[in-house]
Amino acid sequence: MARYQITEEDFAFAREFMETPIGYHSPGLQRVLNRMRGADWTRKYVLVIEERYRLWRLAQLPVGRGAQVEIIEGVVYTDLVEAERDIFRRRWKDLTGQDLDTALPQTT
Amino acid sequence: MLPIVGYTNKLTAEPGETVDVMVSSFGAKTYSADLRQIIQGDTNPEGPGYKDHLITLDLGGTRTAISKPFKPGSCVIVPGLGALPAIQDFTLAAVVRPTLLDGRRRSIVALPGLAEIAIDGDGHLTGQAGDTALVSSVKLSTKHWHVVSLSYDARRELLSLAIARDRDEASTPPRAHIVSTKAVLAARVPSECIIAATRGADGELTAFLDGKVDRPALFDTCLEPDTIRTLLTDFALLRRQRSLLAAWDFSRRMTSRTICDISPFQMHGHIHNAPARAMTGWLWKGQELDWKLRPDLYSAIHFHATDMYDAGWDVDFTLTIPSDLKSGVYAVRLVPDGDEDSAYFCVFAVRPPRDRPSGNTVAFLFPTCSYMAYANHRLGMDVPGTEIGMGRAVELDRHHMFLQNNPGIGFSVYETHDDESGVFHTSRLRPIVDMQPKVKSFLGGFGSNIWQFNADTHILGWLDAIGQNHDVITDEDMHADGLTLLQRYNVVITGTHPEYYTRNMIEALQGFTDRGGRLMYLGGNGFYWVVSFNEDMPGIMECRRSEAGIRPWEPGHGQFYHGFTGEYGGLWRRNDHPPNHLCGVGMTSQGFDVSEPYVLSDNATDPRAAFIFDGISGPGIGNFGLAGGGAAGLEVDRADPAQGTPDHALVLAFSVRHTDIYLMTPEDLLDPTPDWSGTQADIIRADLTFFETEGGGAVFSTGSIAWAGAMAWNNYDNEVARMTHNVLRRFNEETPFDFPGGQGW
Ligand SMILES: [Fe+2]
Repeated sequence: MARYQITEEDFAFAREFMETPIGYHSPGLQRVLNRMRGADWTRKYVLVIEERYRLWRLAQLPVGRGAQVEIIEGVVYTDLVEAERDIFRRRWKDLTGQDLDTALPQTT
Repeated sequence: MLPIVGYTNKLTAEPGETVDVMVSSFGAKTYSADLRQIIQGDTNPEGPGYKDHLITLDLGGTRTAISKPFKPGSCVIVPGLGALPAIQDFTLAAVVRPTLLDGRRRSIVALPGLAEIAIDGDGHLTGQAGDTALVSSVKLSTKHWHVVSLSYDARRELLSLAIARDRDEASTPPRAHIVSTKAVLAARVPSECIIAATRGADGELTAFLDGKVDRPALFDTCLEPDTIRTLLTDFALLRRQRSLLAAWDFSRRMTSRTICDISPFQMHGHIHNAPARAMTGWLWKGQELDWKLRPDLYSAIHFHATDMYDAGWDVDFTLTIPSDLKSGVYAVRLVPDGDEDSAYFCVFAVRPPRDRPSGNTVAFLFPTCSYMAYANHRLGMDVPGTEIGMGRAVELDRHHMFLQNNPGIGFSVYETHDDESGVFHTSRLRPIVDMQPKVKSFLGGFGSNIWQFNADTHILGWLDAIGQNHDVITDEDMHADGLTLLQRYNVVITGTHPEYYTRNMIEALQGFTDRGGRLMYLGGNGFYWVVSFNEDMPGIMECRRSEAGIRPWEPGHGQFYHGFTGEYGGLWRRNDHPPNHLCGVGMTSQGFDVSEPYVLSDNATDPRAAFIFDGISGPGIGNFGLAGGGAAGLEVDRADPAQGTPDHALVLAFSVRHTDIYLMTPEDLLDPTPDWSGTQADIIRADLTFFETEGGGAVFSTGSIAWAGAMAWNNYDNEVARMTHNVLRRFNEETPFDFPGGQGW
């Protein structure tokens, strides 16, 4: 199990991620992402390509080779950066119980 | 998903040669086939656009698509036991160490229809002879060796099953647990012996073992467990026993398919689906680490229910390569039920004729060993950390979904078997679903996200765009023909990631540049791992990831030498052929998110390199691209005199930062501290490197997988493509390069 737990102290990193989901990250954000993207999930978010470079479906990949990929109905993306933001919000909710958009203090 | 899938029996063929095509339906009812030259496979709308050429060749119209299964699982098959006399009393014995007990029934040794020793779903040892079954109260352990035996005494009408576990750590002598039952068995002649599997009622192989088996033997008398143990420890004693019908010593002819019987009957067999040989056996206690010096200690075979060598599908059709077809990369395209969008591409190279040069002086070296190493890899599905390395969510393309649903297709050398031991072998005698144009990948960076074959089509597309005549030769061609093939060319151009090399290949390419050849290494993490072919099993390749390197598994203690050749597995830099000798740079770091430009160094103004910079200013180059948005990235190499970079090599440009996903390779990270990352450590960079050789040759290395993705930017009209063309133009001139001797750095 990962040691690092995401708390309200990570709001700044959440804000940083929403600015720039892909590319250079502060060490603090990288640590948040390592927790979110690491091995501690029985189901992991993945993007199933519907049309290459155009359309992706959100899905979950259960642990275990050969497990059935579970499509999350109704969630499609036309942009990978938007997909990253949405997956970040979902994981924030999964790990803290909080809705990120509501919880994130509006001031910086 | 993939309604139709296929493979060819070779990845390289010359004009006039025949190629067999094996096809299976995964939903398609019919298919039609055509032959296409693959020019550029990336379908990213930001890229130069997909391009192939239809070759006019009748491949036979519409065919019925027949479903053909994958049949993984390795074992030993010894046919011909019918020549033995009928067996009344008998003892069947073996030494076994299972490596996975997961509820499935596993066979250890079987005389199908006559007798079998197996492991039941609960992990108990079981024995069966005729209709009589025995179950031991003892469970097998994945941590220990066990001597197991099933014996029948006709006079006493007694069938006995015995197991003794070797418990080194308890320092107590192993003690056999025996379970017996009354049985009346008729004398019978066995037909075959199967080790690590058996046959089901349908005659198909089944109940594959994940685990090691050592020295199985068959006697025509009922032996006590202690006697069995004594005999099995001493082959010299064993082979003289009058009661011996067969004893298979797996340490003989380990580099081949053959399994040797040391009894006078000489009931030799063969392996099926290429299990791992030259593996530490029952008596290995660390006495020696090289199986060549003590083969007797390497008498185990490690079997896996997931091993796959030859899919063995029936041939659908055979095509003859037209005698006037120019060398290039081609694919038999299989179109299921008229649905072009679902077409499957069986990719292979048409090499130039063997008996005469084509006249082309430029060769693209099609890295089939690296394609095989990654064949059907599952990094994004099996390895959770892949998402961290990518810096974004894993994308699953259609072929990934197919792999997820069809693990029986067999693995790449990036996977582990179900028992978590490393996959040593990969084969091309099965579909390689990621070796197709159009397919996306996991590691190709933000942008096109393509890898290996499809990424290499950025280079093929560039050669097409500049109208450069060239041959395509494969790793297998270079392995087989060496310098006799390479000497036809002024210039050899690599792919984006030529990572896996046999000794023949690395020596041929070194000999080429030593003797005046010009090498354009347009990739990263090249010439890194030692791989071996097997002289007895065409189409299979071995890789044991010993000691260092970024790797998904270790081969296990005492198992660092390849079974196919006896070569020491691992990195070429540990085998006196560091990539730095060949190309001036060697692997330093990897990250699969974003890439960077290079910044010109002072060496860029060196007159020796003037031809490279014709029309190119600086200070940065390659701040764009389809692979992570820069020319330097994904996997990057550095120049390093300590690793063998020639003193006179010129580092013309280098990347000056990478994200913190880029960390240090383990071979250079002897003492891990948290400063070895892309935003902090200078050593994490791609070095664009040039040097001349004493023989008038020259080497240009990009040290970056992302380079070709930058070449393809803006329809191949950019400074990275221009620089590559500058190099190619000069490299393709006969005029020898002057060797600057000890100048430079
Ligand atoms: Fe690699």
